[in-house]
Amino acid sequence: MKVEVGFRLNGYEVRAEVEPHLRLLDVLRDTLGETGTKEGCGEGECGACTVLVDGAAINSCLFPVCEAAGTSVMTVEGLAEANGALSPIQRAFLDHGGAQCGFCTPGIVMAGVALLAENPNPSDAEIRYSLTGNLCRCTGYVQIVAAIRAAAVATRGERGD
Amino acid sequence: MGFEYHQPSTTAEALELVARFPDAEIIAGGTDLMVRLNKTRRVPPALISLRRVQELTHIENGSGLRIGAAVPLRDVATHPAVAAGFPALVDAIRVFGSPQIRNMATLAGNLCNASPGADCAPPLLIYDALVELRSAAGVRELTIEDFILGPGATALEAGEIVTAIRVPPPPPAARSIYLRKGRVQMDLAITGVAARLEMDGATCGAVRIAAGAVAPVPRRLPRTESVVAGAAAGAETWARARAEAQHEISPISDVRASEQYRRHLTGVLVERSLARLASTNGGGT
Ligand SMILES: Cc1cc2nc3c(=O)[nH]c(=O)nc-3n(C[C@H](O)[C@H](O)[C@H](O)COP(=O)(O)OP(=O)(O)OC[C@H]3O[C@@H](n4cnc5c(N)ncnc54)[C@H](O)[C@@H]3O)c2cc1C
Ligand code: FES
Ligand code: FES
Repeated sequence: MKVEVGFRLNGYEVRAEVEPHLRLLDVLRDTLGETGTKEGCGEGECGACTVLVDGAAINSCLFPVCEAAGTSVMTVEGLAEANGALSPIQRAFLDHGGAQCGFCTPGIVMAGVALLAENPNPSDAEIRYSLTGNLCRCTGYVQIVAAIRAAAVATRGERGD
Repeated sequence: MGFEYHQPSTTAEALELVARFPDAEIIAGGTDLMVRLNKTRRVPPALISLRRVQELTHIENGSGLRIGAAVPLRDVATHPAVAAGFPALVDAIRVFGSPQIRNMATLAGNLCNASPGADCAPPLLIYDALVELRSAAGVRELTIEDFILGPGATALEAGEIVTAIRVPPPPPAARSIYLRKGRVQMDLAITGVAARLEMDGATCGAVRIAAGAVAPVPRRLPRTESVVAGAAAGAETWARARAEAQHEISPISDVRASEQYRRHLTGVLVERSLARLASTNGGGT
């Protein structure tokens, strides 16, 4: 039997009629059509499904959709501005070659967003530690760390500190 | 029929649901349960979620700590009283999974899953933690030893849930640490050692040592402890503790490590943790 689940998605209220056993990942992709969030392993290991729920990075493949009710969910689709202008972290991933095939990128970018919200000036070690739960099979991570480092600088610059 | 996802908001409501739906499974952070369900593509008859049970979402700091069963590990590690009094628990959470996992997983879930390598178990063992269990019939408290009975097996009875983990206040001068080795961070431990030491001048006072992933259940190492208690602090004592620990554990060989390597590494971690705790700027990681 379907149930109605409502939450904020990237700033907008959404409601969906869903099977209550589904994961947030399924509903984002299949019901709401937001396919930026990826499924890699479905076991919490790869981080391709990373989204923010009330600001905290979680694996949406391990997150029952019913737990999203009443929360604020942010996915990679919520980063760019309405006119398409990229956010500093997206810009930095482009500038530094932080994406190759791009499959891991939405999850890594969201892990980066969570890191920078908590720690606007992370060391390289802190950036690497924050990516423990995100696998990339292409880049070798060097460009990803560089991109997040640059995003930190750009974000601090924008805030004027 | 039809699957139902229950989200009680009080403990009383949760217990009523658990009694009413004996086939339902309990979900806290879901980091073990959801992996199991995703892998088997099984839909249980119902899930009862503890995430919105208000009473379980707090850490109470009175005489010791009472950590609610729905508190994510990240909030445990960042709580000032945990950092001040229970650094081995902070060490364990620091090496635990990933930020995403720490934002969801709970202490109670770690114990209920009863993996031999559960990272929070060795620290909770050296801190004499108690597992608070509730059912419609009342409340009882068990030590970790009495709660974790074997790989995947606990003393949890039908109709019961874990409502909190309680940790008594630490002795003022005690220092503690948790060291673990895995192949990489995002993997279960090959071995993990928690130790707590009180120094009496240059002599070791009360000591507790516990290890994970080297026996069917996480466990204290009483023989190793007795080598250390009352002995002179120093390399000789640490080496004897290392040798004793290597004998006292009963590890298996698996994909992560051989039995011999687990014995070797556990000894090394015992020695290293004691040396760090006894050194003047010891404690922490
Ligand atoms: C990618 C990944 C990395 C991981 N890394 C680690 C690691 O480094 N170290 C480690 O030890 N573990 C690790 N784990 C395992 C897991 O995250 C932990 O065991 C976690 O603490 C489980 O807590 P949870 O709240 O998510 O449990 P859940 O999955 O919600 O529940 C686990 C089991 O306990 C039962 N349960 C949970 N809470 C209660 C309660 N209050 N009362 C009664 N029953 C209950 C559930 O019914 C279920 O059977 C990892 C898992 C993943 C997916
Ligand atoms: S798909 Fe969720 S962690 Fe891999
Ligand atoms: S860019 Fe291909 S997996 Fe990371």
